[in-house]
Amino acid sequence: MRDRIPTPSPPAPSRRRVLRGGIALGAAGAAALTASGCGSTLAQGFTGGAPSPSRLNFWNPFTGGDGERMLAMQDAYRAAHRSTELKSATFLWGNPYYTKLTLSTLGDRPPQVAVVHLSKLPTLAEAGLLTELRTDDLARHGLTEDKFDARPWRKSQFGGAPHAVPLDTHPFVLFFRTDIAEKAGLLDGQGQLVDVDGPDAFIDALRAAKEVTGAWGGSIASVKEASMQFRLFWSLYRQVGGGDLVADQGKRVVVDTAAAAEALAYIRRLSQEKVIPANTDGKGAITLLTTGKAGFLMDGVWQALAVRSAKVKFDMRPLPRIFKDAPYACAADSHALVLPKAPDEKAQRLDLSLGFIASMLHSSKLWAEGGHVPAWLPTQRSRAYKELVPQSHYATAADGAVYDPAAWYGGAGSTMQNVVGDAVTSVFTGETSPTAGAARLRRDLRTLASRPAPV
Amino acid sequence: MATTTAPTPTSSRGDRWAGPGMLLPFALFYLVFLVGPLIYTVVAGFFETSLLKSGLGDFAGLSNYTAVLGDAEFWRTLRNTLWFTVLTTVPLVLLSLALALLADRFVRGRWFFRFAFFAPFVLPSAVVSLLFMFIYADQLGLAQEAVKWFGVDTPPSWLGDPDWAMISIAAATVWWTIGFNFVLYLAGLQDVPREVHEAAAIDGAGPWQRIRHVVVPMLGRTTTLVTVLQVIASLKVFDQIYMMTAGGPDGSTRSSLQLIYDTGFVEGRVGYASTVSLLLFVVILLVSLVWFALVRRAEKES
Amino acid sequence: MTAIATRPETGQRGTSAPPARPRDSERLFNRVALGTLIALALLWLVPLAWALATSIRPAQEVVTNPTGWFTAHPTLDAYGEIFDAGKLPYWYANSFITSILTTVLTVVMASLAAFALSQTRFRMRRAAFVMLLAGIMIPGQVLMIPQFLALQSAGLLNTYWGVVLPQVPNVVAVFVFKQFFDGIPRELIDAARADGAGWLRTYWQIVMPISRPAVSAVTIFVFVGVWNNFLWPLLVVTDPEMMTLPVGLTSVQDVFGVPYAQLMASAVLGAIPLLAVFALFQRRIVEGIAGTGLK
Repeated sequence: MRDRIPTPSPPAPSRRRVLRGGIALGAAGAAALTASGCGSTLAQGFTGGAPSPSRLNFWNPFTGGDGERMLAMQDAYRAAHRSTELKSATFLWGNPYYTKLTLSTLGDRPPQVAVVHLSKLPTLAEAGLLTELRTDDLARHGLTEDKFDARPWRKSQFGGAPHAVPLDTHPFVLFFRTDIAEKAGLLDGQGQLVDVDGPDAFIDALRAAKEVTGAWGGSIASVKEASMQFRLFWSLYRQVGGGDLVADQGKRVVVDTAAAAEALAYIRRLSQEKVIPANTDGKGAITLLTTGKAGFLMDGVWQALAVRSAKVKFDMRPLPRIFKDAPYACAADSHALVLPKAPDEKAQRLDLSLGFIASMLHSSKLWAEGGHVPAWLPTQRSRAYKELVPQSHYATAADGAVYDPAAWYGGAGSTMQNVVGDAVTSVFTGETSPTAGAARLRRDLRTLASRPAPV
Repeated sequence: MATTTAPTPTSSRGDRWAGPGMLLPFALFYLVFLVGPLIYTVVAGFFETSLLKSGLGDFAGLSNYTAVLGDAEFWRTLRNTLWFTVLTTVPLVLLSLALALLADRFVRGRWFFRFAFFAPFVLPSAVVSLLFMFIYADQLGLAQEAVKWFGVDTPPSWLGDPDWAMISIAAATVWWTIGFNFVLYLAGLQDVPREVHEAAAIDGAGPWQRIRHVVVPMLGRTTTLVTVLQVIASLKVFDQIYMMTAGGPDGSTRSSLQLIYDTGFVEGRVGYASTVSLLLFVVILLVSLVWFALVRRAEKES
Repeated sequence: MTAIATRPETGQRGTSAPPARPRDSERLFNRVALGTLIALALLWLVPLAWALATSIRPAQEVVTNPTGWFTAHPTLDAYGEIFDAGKLPYWYANSFITSILTTVLTVVMASLAAFALSQTRFRMRRAAFVMLLAGIMIPGQVLMIPQFLALQSAGLLNTYWGVVLPQVPNVVAVFVFKQFFDGIPRELIDAARADGAGWLRTYWQIVMPISRPAVSAVTIFVFVGVWNNFLWPLLVVTDPEMMTLPVGLTSVQDVFGVPYAQLMASAVLGAIPLLAVFALFQRRIVEGIAGTGLK
């Protein structure tokens, strides 16, 4: 925004010397980097050459608790594979991450292995950005179908062939403070949360918690977090029996506006009855729970570590079954490992990459401690996992897990999540009525659907 | 370019090619990176070009144009861009003028004012965004704290409230870029002859009247320049919005350039994005032309 | 890209200081003006000062009291952590390399072109000039898609060339040079030519040495512009080790949540090189801008 150039003024020779000095300093810095081993990277900057064959670049969108787990898993890999130079990079979740991944693949410089959400898999695969995996290659590294949770495994297929190796399922769940619940009389004799299913039961529970906290009953991210609002809506909409939002890979809008309005009306009730605040961002929502200003939190399982680190008494359970019109449902997604399509086999490093993926799966227990339900059955069925608390308390949520609607503009952190989430937020804050919100949602989806698909 | 070293200055063959030869390297870059892309933008607007497929794709006729012009999002981003332009141009012109008028009265210490107001201008947009994301942070930012001193109990979420987000970003932009206009005005003030001040003072005009009736009118040309440069720069806003809100909340800060970025690179719809590019180009071109017309008129008058 | 009519010289001009013997109202006005000005200038320094203050506070203190200003235990931990964990050295190196490369190429090519337009005579010279003039109105950012596609097909994404080349055709730089060259006495050129110097030699040995003001003005502004460019490197560079400083600072995430002390430390580190340039060249930069304009 500021490419303005001024006019020259009388000469000042000493400045020139300073500038020269600056350039020399820069050159010296570059030389120092070369000496310290970064030189090959700088040289590649000029030649565009590929990195050394022992190098494995790995990209992921994990920050916070997930990021810490992922670092531990990488350390485990490094300890076992000293000859491989593993370099990982973390990017901002959602569209920015997927745009980077797309552009790097188009630019022939993708990472060897990357994490993607399975909700994005069809779009990425159809765009030709992923390497198709062969079952015998996978089997060579012990990655066979029988070792994976069926749901994410099925979701990893595209055009009849695997294009990703699933790592987990991560549903949208309910966190609660056991101490607050107890004071609110919401725990039964065994210290379990009483039944909070049903539209009124849930709000009653929130209200009881509110009386204990003196501030709020529950919390959810509503500011700057369109995705979280999407998850809430998508879960309830499915529970009402709304079915899909779009069909034909996003070309047709099939949203059931009556069901959408019903789900939105309930979301509005949560803020209208003042049991949940309508102006909290992601961090704020967690802080309300951990500081005892809210008894419940609706969030993804991946926040388990963030809540745990506050050292408060808490537990987790699947999102309540608010509506009984359809089978139980809660929004969920899966992380999976993919091989972005490299310009040639040498750059792909298939076996190195698959070896790394296998190592990640063998660290599934570490990953599960961060809250995710592992897709790797040897871990999921292990005693150690079943003894994990509160992980075992919400494992059943995976059965009701519904992925995002399939569309080229859909998936984790996508335009669809933003558009739908924004409409939900405006109902949640009371700016729009539930019926108008449902109409807006349908209109916005139609606009998206009318666009010619780029893949 | 060996031909350009012909020994005789007279109209030898080498001489005839010297000019074009020296122009050539720049001209090549100019053609490859400005003219070529501009032509491509025009052409791609008529196709369903995709980032993810090679080639231009299916011929689309005018469908991209009808789609863009009928797309509420296109108009909304244009409105957002204009709103940002208004929010930044007005304070950036008026405040910089006021600051320059005040600073002009003091010879000593001027370097300090120049540093305070101009230093932010040399910072990368990334640094400015990091800084202001922290300042505007919910609950723990300086901006919310500051309005609490003034008795506001529940300050808005500066970047999270659709009504405030654009204003917050505009305020950060004013902080960032005011130095440029400030310096232009200071330079304009140097051209106001001392005698004008003195004559007006002898006439009994107070400092305020002199500024209003004598100095400000004499800065007319600088004001035109500052305003038009500002409008053009603001129409191309991208960086700080992309980093601070990514266009949210609820699309309330999405700019036209971000629409191009999003449709072109996030969604991969190159044909559509090219159409938006061309329309934005036309808008900026019109503003530039207005400026040129004003310059022309000013030149004729003087 | 914005068009700016420029003049090569910005001579010393008298300052318009107030008349010698101020009256009471004058004195009062001055006092109010000075007070306002100092208050605003201090306000303007708050963001930078706060960033600096936050960056040297212990991380734990920032979490418990984010808006505190002073710490009893100043520390450079945040800076150390960024250097250890991040790819900051790469980003610095990449920013230096791309900025210097672009600046050198732009100065050479733009001055050559300006010299041709200003001093030589050839057919279509006028047409070429008008065409360049038109280029001043093309906002480069609007062309990001075809520029990206061109570099993709040339295989230059994720290279320095990909960052550098599209930033070279800087029409404004040509105009700055041309304005300056137009002011060079004709006799000087003619004398050199009469001595048998070719055009290239005249350009390199006669004209460029006396054009240092133009060269340094273009150098500073191209350098700062490329160093600060965000959108273009954001597109062409996806490899974290190839990123420039502004892109790296904002797109590669720190795994450990949002450590504000570190964020502010990286903001400070991102600001330092250019604040240094500014401190060194303050007068030059300010005079450069001041000389800009349609006078």
